[in-house]
Amino acid sequence: MSEYIAYGTGHLVECKDMHEGISVVLKAEQLGSVFGFPITNSLIMAWLVMALLIFTAYIFGRSLSLVPGKIQAGVEWAFEGAIAYMAEVLESEALARRFFPLVASIFIFIAVINEIEFFPGVGSLGLWHASEFLPVLRAPTTDLNFTLALAMIAFFTIEVTGIAMLGFFKYAGKYVNLKSPVGFAVGLIELISNLGRLVSFSFRLFGNIFAGEVMVLVAGYFLPYVLPAPLMGFEMFIGLIQALVFAMLTLFFIKLAIVEPHEAH
Amino acid sequence: MQQLFSAFGIDWHLLIAQAVNFGIVLIALWYFLYKPVLAVLEKRQETVAKGVEDAAKAEALLAGAGAESAKRVAAADEEAEHIVSAAREAGNAEKARLLKEAEARAVAVTKDAEERAKEVAARAERESEKEVARLAVLAAEKLLKKHYD
Repeated sequence: MSEYIAYGTGHLVECKDMHEGISVVLKAEQLGSVFGFPITNSLIMAWLVMALLIFTAYIFGRSLSLVPGKIQAGVEWAFEGAIAYMAEVLESEALARRFFPLVASIFIFIAVINEIEFFPGVGSLGLWHASEFLPVLRAPTTDLNFTLALAMIAFFTIEVTGIAMLGFFKYAGKYVNLKSPVGFAVGLIELISNLGRLVSFSFRLFGNIFAGEVMVLVAGYFLPYVLPAPLMGFEMFIGLIQALVFAMLTLFFIKLAIVEPHEAH
Repeated sequence: MQQLFSAFGIDWHLLIAQAVNFGIVLIALWYFLYKPVLAVLEKRQETVAKGVEDAAKAEALLAGAGAESAKRVAAADEEAEHIVSAAREAGNAEKARLLKEAEARAVAVTKDAEERAKEVAARAERESEKEVARLAVLAAEKLLKKHYD
């Protein structure tokens, strides 16, 4: 007999019975495949959020006027604030405007996913397949494929920006320094920490959001109806923070990449 | 490594799919959201700058208009004064002319009257001389008649 806890995000934890306890599903469940291409529940939710974002942006973009309403004024305030902050960090208004779409999209995409994750239906609506419950929706931020893909995009953007701004040899000189043994060691450490960003970027986001879901479910297992609600509120806040952290780190690493080698230390 | 990938469900198909998803979101938000919003911000900034400039221009224009109107009023004042003084001068000249003319006419009238009086006196004298002569002739006639009778 299998019994499933199906609060908001119930897919991560399943309670087979009291003897088996809670088991956690680390990877996104595959619901099917199209021409050998796996379709997972996190992919479906990513498409859903994309559709929502694009639709909202389309409607909003069409309704813009020179005399703004409250929502438009809020969005403009946020955009102007973000660009001003980026210009301060990058020390260039032009660079801030160039990277604003990337950084803002990272924040918006992750933040919306993390907030929608706690809406009813995500994780609780699903299919029974061979006495196994497969949720149709799973937050992409709890799927390492998504966070790693974003980390790779951020990583390549950072490296390409560094090479484009400094030139290949100057940029490579940050990591391969043959002038002194200390310089060589520092360069090597830089190189490793740079590559480590792929792991830290992806696992930070994945770990935080995944752990939050597990915590909410475990809380629901111990004290149903009462404990999960405040924890969900807290996790929604964490979701915003993690979106901000991902976007800000991308911004800071872009800044580090374009700094001249001798200024960096 | 393979075990790690399989535990987390890492699949290059899904990695690419999610990267493409993000790319689509980036492009769509860029096209539908960032570009129009930033364009509106820029346009508004231009409008505000233009408004400030126009206000400064209008203010300068207003100040200029004040000076211009004061200048015109002063000019009009001056012209009015000219007109009044010219009229006054013309009036005075006319008055003097009329006086002179009246005086001349009075003199002429007086002269004429005097001449006429003189003529009357002369005629009266002539007539009385004639009368005296006639009376003398009469008296002489009377005396001669008496003498010869």
